[in-house]
Amino acid sequence: MRAEPKTILRFLLENFEALRDLFEIQLSDGIVKKEILRTICDKYGSNIQVQLVDYKILRPINDDFEFHSAYFNLIEFITSQFKPLLPETIEKYYLSISKLYQRITEGIDGDKEILKLRVAELSTEIRSFFELVERNTIGLLKETRNIKSNIEKIDYREKIIRASRWIDEYIVPLNRILDVNHSESVANKLSNAGQFVNAKRLSFNDEQLRIQFEQLYQLIMSINDGLLRQSRILTTELLPLIDRIRTESLILTGWIEFLNKPEKYDTPVLLKPVKDFAYSGNVYLNTKEFFEQFAKEEIVYLEDEETEREKWVFNKRYYKNKLREDLPVKDFFGWCANTLTEEYKTIEIEKFFDLASLIFEKDLEPQFPENTVLIEVKTDRSLIRVPNIIVKKNV
Amino acid sequence: MFDYPAHHREIVDEFMNGRFILHSDKLFEEVRGNEDFYRSFFHLSFGYNLKLTREFAYIISEGSNENLSRDISVFFAILCYELDKNGKNFLEELEYGYFEYRRIDELFENSSYVDHIVSNNKLKDSNARKNLFNEMSRRNIIEKENDESFSFTPAYKVFIEFANELASRKIVDKHNETNL
Repeated sequence: MRAEPKTILRFLLENFEALRDLFEIQLSDGIVKKEILRTICDKYGSNIQVQLVDYKILRPINDDFEFHSAYFNLIEFITSQFKPLLPETIEKYYLSISKLYQRITEGIDGDKEILKLRVAELSTEIRSFFELVERNTIGLLKETRNIKSNIEKIDYREKIIRASRWIDEYIVPLNRILDVNHSESVANKLSNAGQFVNAKRLSFNDEQLRIQFEQLYQLIMSINDGLLRQSRILTTELLPLIDRIRTESLILTGWIEFLNKPEKYDTPVLLKPVKDFAYSGNVYLNTKEFFEQFAKEEIVYLEDEETEREKWVFNKRYYKNKLREDLPVKDFFGWCANTLTEEYKTIEIEKFFDLASLIFEKDLEPQFPENTVLIEVKTDRSLIRVPNIIVKKNV
Repeated sequence: MFDYPAHHREIVDEFMNGRFILHSDKLFEEVRGNEDFYRSFFHLSFGYNLKLTREFAYIISEGSNENLSRDISVFFAILCYELDKNGKNFLEELEYGYFEYRRIDELFENSSYVDHIVSNNKLKDSNARKNLFNEMSRRNIIEKENDESFSFTPAYKVFIEFANELASRKIVDKHNETNL
């Protein structure tokens, strides 16, 4: 019977050191020989061989063993021990992504169910492609840093040979895959797909399809950003490898080794000061540091309110009486404009609209001439075109 | 009555706050002139050990500040790596250069050691690094020139020496491993 997931996870946790050793063996030798498995089990004082096979962590290959790919990938991922892949392994995505993209463009108005499946598949392929690129960059960084660190003390000629191999066989081809300007690159294909999906994402009546296209668009955008980051690492750090390994420094070797596992090494001993008191000389800097973390650096401009401007309060009764005195009015909006000009010299839009609201009063009757012309009213902020309206008393 | 060295209280204050006393400081000569006294004073009074070089002095204890030391080490490691990547002689830069905070930000933001940076609370962004610089300034590892730049004091050599020793040890280990 298959073990409970929690049992397997607990087993992985409890025996992780042994598993990591086995993983490293497979990484270097491609297989775990039965003698080595026994040695490692003895080293950690546990007989875990049976569980390793029962839980399908290892599978027997004749008399020897190898990791099940799911567990191999898991340990590879959590230990960041990626082995660079040849570009051929990554290039295959060009075909699958191109094909799916082509089918989506051709079948955009066809069977909706098939279209949804293709969009889902394309998302999966794009995600897998990016993960592979990312782990490949991590693997390449590790390998090239090893050359720079040169812990093995290999001579300069050998260093150049190794660096050239990484550049020619891995870095340059990977750079081509990520070159968005190269018409045959995956990055270029993704860029095209991004434009297409962007144009189409709002044009579906089917809600699920609209959501799928939106998600695909967001995915492509974030993957494109990620690819740009990877491409920058390739250009600034990996492609100039030959230049970078010309110099060698023991200190840099130490730092590279340290950064491989910063938690593993005892760093220089520094005194831990005793607790500070309120009268300690450090209190000023500590307090400053504490407050600095809340300090906002953005410059904020506050505009003073115009204090000279009188606040406008619409005296409806006053203006309504004024309008009634002038009735009948042949051009209502013209009357509003004239009234304001007489009283304030300028026409403020806020006042103009308040006066215009008088037209809705019940005791007034607006009339709209058949061949009305638009009249222009120039306010302090805009030019308004309004129709000619006659206002009479409503009897 | 026992005759204490001049500026004794200041010297003790400096050391007990985890500061490096630098060659340029008047206290340094006092410590160097009374090396034996201070060695035994700190050892007998607090169980601390005095470290004295030609350029600086400091004391260390068993209960050390490991986290800070690790953060500073990661900072130096990435800084040296990035300077070298940009074609600079990092030792010359550390010894004679002035560093603008903005330049440090650029180097760290473009570093491929992004996982180390974002997972470290003292390095993850510009503000976090400012706090680290404040701590380094308090300990006299850096000297703030103004609000925009700083330079390293000779105390940086403690960390460089650490990297040097680590490399030597690793090379010997690798050599022994290969010859097994």
